[in-house]
Amino acid sequence: MRAFGIVIVGLLVAVMVSHAGAQHWPREVPLGLPPVPQLPDNPLTPEKVALGKQLYFDPRLSRDNTVSCASCHDPKKGWSNGEAVATGIRGQKGGRSAPPVVNAGYLRFQFWDGRAQFVEGQALGPIQNPIEMDMTLEELVERLKSIEGYRKQFQQVFGRDVQAEDVARAIGAFERTLLAGNAPYDRFKAGDTSALSEAAQRGMKLFFGKAHCSACHSGPLFTDGAFHNIGVGILKENPDLGRYEVSKLLGDRGAFRTPSLRDVARTAPYMHDGSEPTLEAVVEYYNKGGTPNPQLDEEIFPLNLTEQEKADLVTFLREGLTSEDYPVVDPPELPK
Amino acid sequence: MRRWLFAAVALGVVGLGSVALRAADPEVKVIVNGLYNPCGVAIQPDTGEIFVADSANLRVIRVDKEGNVHEAITGFTKDVYGKGPMYDIGPLGLCFLSKQILVVGDGGKPDGEELLHFFRLPDDNHTLKADDHVAAFNLAASEGVLGEGNFYGLAFTAGAIYVTSNGDDTKGWIAKCAVRNDGYGPFERAIATKEAVQVDAPVAITVDSRGNLVVGQMGEINVPNDSLLSFYDPRTGKLLANYQTGLHDITALAYHPRTGRLYATDFAWLDVSQGGLFELVSERKDGKTTAVARKVLSLMKPTAMVFDPEGNLYVTVMGDAKEGENPKVGQLLKISL
Repeated sequence: MRAFGIVIVGLLVAVMVSHAGAQHWPREVPLGLPPVPQLPDNPLTPEKVALGKQLYFDPRLSRDNTVSCASCHDPKKGWSNGEAVATGIRGQKGGRSAPPVVNAGYLRFQFWDGRAQFVEGQALGPIQNPIEMDMTLEELVERLKSIEGYRKQFQQVFGRDVQAEDVARAIGAFERTLLAGNAPYDRFKAGDTSALSEAAQRGMKLFFGKAHCSACHSGPLFTDGAFHNIGVGILKENPDLGRYEVSKLLGDRGAFRTPSLRDVARTAPYMHDGSEPTLEAVVEYYNKGGTPNPQLDEEIFPLNLTEQEKADLVTFLREGLTSEDYPVVDPPELPK
Repeated sequence: MRRWLFAAVALGVVGLGSVALRAADPEVKVIVNGLYNPCGVAIQPDTGEIFVADSANLRVIRVDKEGNVHEAITGFTKDVYGKGPMYDIGPLGLCFLSKQILVVGDGGKPDGEELLHFFRLPDDNHTLKADDHVAAFNLAASEGVLGEGNFYGLAFTAGAIYVTSNGDDTKGWIAKCAVRNDGYGPFERAIATKEAVQVDAPVAITVDSRGNLVVGQMGEINVPNDSLLSFYDPRTGKLLANYQTGLHDITALAYHPRTGRLYATDFAWLDVSQGGLFELVSERKDGKTTAVARKVLSLMKPTAMVFDPEGNLYVTVMGDAKEGENPKVGQLLKISL
């Protein structure tokens, strides 16, 4: 074992991607985003991504062949579903909104309560959820094995017959390619002073200052990846306790994962329960200081924003964070 | 494995080539029992006596060479930290400027009202009250600016006390209080760590051999493995380097005075059984320097640490009181590495 010295001269900033042992997708990422992380046991290949794309759009992954991942995470609806909550087979309604999938490959914690880690850890959850796709993993594997095209592709990609964990790997690989950056905010930060309107610039200053948004919506994805109680729905008779159901820590009661704000204008309605229909309503909710409760985050307090400030903030969210090369993916031809 | 020594010899990362022998398992001795959420520890120059912020007992204690406890400063106020678990806290960080001048960071009031106290300790060791300070400063709220508080980590370098604080989470301020021959102050917001590293909560702070600030960025308490090790130039406030550590919630950093090795304590809010004392070592990976935390020993809710000149390490731990039990299970430990 050797001891050594280190000297810091100038900027020696070792920015490390958040996934341990991560490698990077061999493609150029949009302006403003970090390299795309990959799990060591799930390196991305074009063939795996193509397989994952088919699985993502395939309703045969649900019990009655009516619901695919894309049903609730629709590319044409901001990779969400445009509704307050998710809708599964037989029209069953879930209790939470469908989080957008774009840029989800950067996030460690998945679902609003973080009960799964990484997109690969998330992928099989909705498939098994009785009110979403309602399949057991055994049924899933048997169904995919019954489709010759899938059997061949799993052999080509993974070198073995269909396995549930490989379904997760393939879907995760596809989701890791869904990136949205290069928003006006990114170009403004890169030196293009014309990228943001004056109103959006005022809103940006509020976002990182008086409006206190960046206390939680921080970093390149505009999320700290953590869980916060902002009081949404907490006064209901049987409130959704969010992260507490996973961690059992009192401080997590009513806390939900901070969502990314990139392309937030595409994903109305808002909040974990879809209770706020517009960005204006969201800003109004924060401006009043959320909903007081014992676990309300310390960063939530009345903001005293003027009408002009609220409008500017919404302008920044709507104009500044909307990517012009947002990924719109058409459904692929499915294997037979 | 390579260790973090900040020897200042050349550009980049340089191997010194000396071979370090692995130390035997550390010896741990309990110096004081019955503390209530101790959160700060410092060694008085010349006397070598240990001072501890016995935080929820709202006092600073002096521990003499025989391990006897004496009240040095009493009468601090109480606040509560956390939303569950919750911890009663009062005085937090400690730092000696000289044998007589002790600086105490406050955590016992609302943000903006908490004080950075400068105390002149009496020769006869009589007990002071919290308002017996010779100087005190706060970082109040003003239009559009949040008040700061929870002055947890204190370090002296470049003619100033640098203080980690908790208030505006869009900034994550390290504050700075000038120390002059004729007095102290001003006390002002100095380094916006959140803007620099995009992670919340500077908590631990120490100084390397070059006089740079070494900061433990705690991160979110409900996110595991997100603590950072960051280096700043105190003169310019510029970030010099930043590393992920894989630790959960760094509460203290300290360099061994003889080996130069860097140690960290991890509180590990989400799973306190994972907390402990760690050595931070560097590794080259894919052409980059990375930080690796190597566990030295497990500790239950470690909060602060300081080395004496011989390399003995003094660590405060909160201990693990169950709900409804006597909460005063904190300890001052002496660890021989």
